[in-house]
Amino acid sequence: MKGLISAVTSSKRLSKTAALACLGLSGLALSSTTLAEQTLNLYNWGDYINPEVIERFTAETGIKVTLDTYSSNEEMLAKLQAGATGYDIIFPSVHMQDVMTSLNMLEKTNINKAPGFENILKDHLIAESDPKGEYCLPYAWGSVGIVYNKKLVPELNSWQEFFALPSQGKKITLLDDMREDIGIGLIMNGKNVNSTDSQDLKAAQQFLLDQKPNISALTYDTIPMVQSGDIAAGHYYVGAMMYVNEDPDTLAYVIPKEGATMYQEDMCVLKSAPNKSNARKFMEFFLQPEISAMNTIQQTNGSVNKAAISLLPAAMRDNPNMNPPVETMEKLQVFKDLGKGIKLYDRVWTKFRTAS
Amino acid sequence: MKSFSRQQKQLVLLLAPATLFLGIFFIGPLLIMAVYSFLEPGLYGGVEWNFYHWNYGRVLGWADGFYEEFDLVYLEILARSAGLALATTLLTLLVCYPAAFWISRMSTRGKALCLFLITLPFFSSMIIRLYAWILILRDSGFANQILDALGLISEPLGLMYSSTAVVIGMIYIFVPFMFLPLYSSVEKIDGKLIQASQDLGAAPLTTFRKVILPLTLPGVIAGSVLVFIPSLGNFVVPSMLGGAKVVMIGNLVEQQFLYARNWPFGATLSMLMIVSMLVIVSFYLFKVMKNQPQS
Repeated sequence: MKGLISAVTSSKRLSKTAALACLGLSGLALSSTTLAEQTLNLYNWGDYINPEVIERFTAETGIKVTLDTYSSNEEMLAKLQAGATGYDIIFPSVHMQDVMTSLNMLEKTNINKAPGFENILKDHLIAESDPKGEYCLPYAWGSVGIVYNKKLVPELNSWQEFFALPSQGKKITLLDDMREDIGIGLIMNGKNVNSTDSQDLKAAQQFLLDQKPNISALTYDTIPMVQSGDIAAGHYYVGAMMYVNEDPDTLAYVIPKEGATMYQEDMCVLKSAPNKSNARKFMEFFLQPEISAMNTIQQTNGSVNKAAISLLPAAMRDNPNMNPPVETMEKLQVFKDLGKGIKLYDRVWTKFRTAS
Repeated sequence: MKSFSRQQKQLVLLLAPATLFLGIFFIGPLLIMAVYSFLEPGLYGGVEWNFYHWNYGRVLGWADGFYEEFDLVYLEILARSAGLALATTLLTLLVCYPAAFWISRMSTRGKALCLFLITLPFFSSMIIRLYAWILILRDSGFANQILDALGLISEPLGLMYSSTAVVIGMIYIFVPFMFLPLYSSVEKIDGKLIQASQDLGAAPLTTFRKVILPLTLPGVIAGSVLVFIPSLGNFVVPSMLGGAKVVMIGNLVEQQFLYARNWPFGATLSMLMIVSMLVIVSFYLFKVMKNQPQS
């Protein structure tokens, strides 16, 4: 190595590079010796955490973080059930947290005893299997409403107005998601989005079938289509606010007044986690209001931490579609696991998608 | 006891890797699927080890009576998938057949260039190429802009999110699969046979029917099988260009595994698809063998 450096000292810049390379190598050697206790492996939804949060955590604690991603609860569960190990923290939706608790996959962390937990809003301790927060830390939430093109639709407040758009020659899309779409059918009939009553589902199915000829597509590619005006309005997540903030003259997001669904993910530690104490450190780190706020600002979704909410920029904090008032919150329903009732939903979904 | 000849031993040794590979990675999963298709779905995915006959019954419309009612919706989806796959096959054939003749008469350099161009799309991801089609087909897209600029249309055609868009996308993707086998059989045609047919007074249509078509039939069948089978199971194109409104059998299988947590039913649908494809391929082999001259 020394020979290598002396061979390139003719140029100052090069020698500096070589020295840096050596430093880097020794740094690598150092970190690999302490690798065992200094890592944390996150398994999260794609694009569902601010990378800066992870960088800050590593800078403060020296713990190296790896991040793998999944695109659905089912995919995550299937991988873990098939024997994937090495993950410490996962971010299931609350209904999947209940499933995983019943499958005995989650570690009891007593995170509710950690400093800062008092800032977690009680309204967000909604997992039925964990009403006190002894297992998981509420992470983030969001509504699922409508994103629309203001140039085509000046104002939009309800599902009823949304479904009336096609009669004015304007195109609409729904998400390509079984629970979300059937959820709208149930909400429009005044039913619970977790109903497994076959009459309720028949009514929801009828509503959806009536709309089917007017729905241009079931898709997640909503934002570019609404922005270009090809679609006037589309069913989408509150994450749309990221694009609304960039292009507020064209785009807008609204929670329909009839009500809507909401999602919430919690941060959970697996029973099989190899780095439980690091996982605990990460949860405590995330309980700091400024860290939580940093994540919410980048994600443009809902915060579950009241101290973090007060740190949000006014435009986010005072936006009723991002930080809704109590009366709107009451109209947002969260999905629960359906058990065997999922068969009824599968049937309605197949009928709906097959209908012309 | 019979001892094996040296040749036989060599053969076993040479065939072992392929046999092992296929046995483990093809037959194994296939058997798992076959077994799963007769089991009860687990509550959270996976299976319960109980014999369950409703999976196959459900495809044919019979219901378990509790969660379901008699409904032919799955047969409808099967029929629609087959229809779309058939349309794709016929249209790719229609595009490729004349093109194959045209290209086969080119100079060597022209042929090489055309073959290269036809295989060129394989160098980029299918998803990216389908996104490009969204930009072309959507109402504010290139197709409508060009037609509008030419004064041919006054309103956008509404191509995006329709069965037409699905068929366009599938034709685009599967053209190389049809073209290559077709081209190889077209290129082999002996021009003298066509001349002879014309000299003997056959009308152009008769020459085509009695001489050209039989000679290119192996290519037509091979290309059709190569296009029909993957387009029957395709679920990416219907999702992206059809707006998921056009449900094909592939989408249904995806739904069973990812959303409905019903692995056995997904396995059943896949088994049915595999069996129907086996039938198609056996038909093809039978046809080709019948057409081969005894050698």
